[in-house]
Amino acid sequence: MIELLMTVFSATFFVTVIRTATPLIFATLGGLISDLSGALNVALEGMMLIAALTAVIVSVYAPWYVAVLSGVLAGALLGALMAFFHLKMKADIILVGFAVNILAAGGTVFALSQATGGDKGTSINLTSKAVPAVDLPFLEAIPVVGPTLDRLLSGHSILSWLAALTVFAVWYFLYRTPHGLWLRGVGEYPAAPEAAGIPVNKVRAWSLVASGALAGIGGAQLAMFNYIGFTRDMTAGRGFIALGAVLLGARHPVGAMLAALLFGVFEALSIVMPNLFNWIPGELIQTIPFAVTILALILFSYRSQRARQLKTLSKI
Amino acid sequence: MNLASFGREAGRAAAALVIALIVAYVVVLATSQDPGAAFTTLLTAPLSSNRTLGLWVDDIAKLTLTGLAFSLIFQARQFSMGVQGQVYVGGLFAALVAMSPIGATPIAIPLSMLAAMAAGAAYGFIPGYAKARFGASEIVSSLMLNYIAIRVVNYLVRAHLAPPGTGQLMTEPFPPTAVFPAIIPGTRFDLGIVIALVCVVIVWFVLYRTSWGLKLRLVGHNPKFAEYSGIRASAIMVSAMTVSGAIGGLLGAVFVQGRAFGKLSIDFDGNLAFEGILIAIVARSRPLAVPFVALFYGYLRQGAQLMGIRTDVPTEMISVVQAVIILLVASSFTVPGRKALARLLRRDEAPAGATAGVAQK
Repeated sequence: MIELLMTVFSATFFVTVIRTATPLIFATLGGLISDLSGALNVALEGMMLIAALTAVIVSVYAPWYVAVLSGVLAGALLGALMAFFHLKMKADIILVGFAVNILAAGGTVFALSQATGGDKGTSINLTSKAVPAVDLPFLEAIPVVGPTLDRLLSGHSILSWLAALTVFAVWYFLYRTPHGLWLRGVGEYPAAPEAAGIPVNKVRAWSLVASGALAGIGGAQLAMFNYIGFTRDMTAGRGFIALGAVLLGARHPVGAMLAALLFGVFEALSIVMPNLFNWIPGELIQTIPFAVTILALILFSYRSQRARQLKTLSKI
Repeated sequence: MNLASFGREAGRAAAALVIALIVAYVVVLATSQDPGAAFTTLLTAPLSSNRTLGLWVDDIAKLTLTGLAFSLIFQARQFSMGVQGQVYVGGLFAALVAMSPIGATPIAIPLSMLAAMAAGAAYGFIPGYAKARFGASEIVSSLMLNYIAIRVVNYLVRAHLAPPGTGQLMTEPFPPTAVFPAIIPGTRFDLGIVIALVCVVIVWFVLYRTSWGLKLRLVGHNPKFAEYSGIRASAIMVSAMTVSGAIGGLLGAVFVQGRAFGKLSIDFDGNLAFEGILIAIVARSRPLAVPFVALFYGYLRQGAQLMGIRTDVPTEMISVVQAVIILLVASSFTVPGRKALARLLRRDEAPAGATAGVAQK
């Protein structure tokens, strides 16, 4: 137990949490944007998976940032595909989302076996690149707190810093720009913006594209920093956990980030725990993030339900 | 459903299938050394021998059951995706009964099926209750439960149920009394298909000939109206998920006790459980249409498996076909017009309804 506490309060654990939380933060923000526009994006999982594979394959031939961008593009294209089928072809968004997930689960294995010449499952033969980590050695010069600060803030992926920036950007966009207001209005009560002449479907379509792009960065981070290379089903439910994090984060960007960080902590725990407690079977440790998601979701839903009930009571 | 609309639906499904196959052909053409052979294998291999025919029938049975489980859920307009998890817990409990002393007695098969159904029902109940009581999104919670079930069952098989010291990732074969008898000896044509067809009739009867079924369909069509007419929508919702869970659990029993396995192994469902989504969508959630869709889709699925084994095109290519079919069939049912608009408005509410638990009202 002491060992666990020592590990949890170490700087390396903090770095691990940021690393595991970064893909979740991007995916959660993506889920948030489409959810606020009124389209529940259940395809985050598939988008991340396809983006991860795209990024890995492109990184063999191009610099890392091109690879990340190609992952973003792949996610955005999937978002556009969903928007086309949901808005133009009037298909149910959840079914469209699962079609993307099914396509991703099988399609990535298929595409990988084409790219590697027969490997079904991992990209071990591909010499892919990684997203560089940022070291901040100058922090050490700061007296007293310098070395600690250096250990806490160094070694993160560039994309982790981008994630923090993105949280702010999404918040600014949603709450400080007219387009953000449009987006929230479209999700809240589509008839009103429609009457005001706002192109409702266009707003939804762009939010699905943005949602895909964000999930795509998450996928790129997963396959080019958290792990180097692609393995089949490597997202392992992260897209669905992100969906839970959207709800848990009270549909607010900062809340979404906090929820993603919370799930990041538990995923990081499931990474460090096998070394500390080798008597707990690995499979059971792997269930921790999923169990925590269910519990958090139930607790949060219960609380917001209570809050709503109290609100209606006070109105009477 | 009258004959005309049945014909229209069947026509749409067939058109979707043809388009999906054309897409598949293009993909095979682009990637295979010998596209002709690969595509021929995809389309004809299931008929090539008695063994492959048996595999096809086995798939029909399983796809029918998962299609029924999803149909029931979709009819209530819930999006619980928990069939996979229910298959795992169902398979686990069926295996536990089959490996206990009861497994050697004649009551082994009915008892293990019952155990599997109870386990699946309990597993289906959880997301339903969490939604009805706390407003927790059933999509997220059921998917999380899938991941948990798979990992727990894999752990139990690896560490406790497999014969110790062998490092196997499966249990010993069940005693013959606990394995479904073959209907045609020497093939996988076993009791599973009979169970599946009986389930089709039962689910049809329950949905269209009982008051519970009427309430369930009403809740699916218009929960507010159902609520106003005195139906407790949340109770119906929970019970629909529970019954669907029982079917999922039964599918678990069909998996492990079928002649294909006859034992419990890790990762045994081969992602088949999720293909019930496709079956249910194409069948428009009509129980009587489910086995026919399963017939066609099962053929394609077996063809893809054999294509993966016999040619250079991986089995996973079929996911392209799956996605195209779902996208086309799910989208085709709204023709422009007033009725379509009404449906669209309701459909727009569906995702919001799923997240209503946390919507800021």
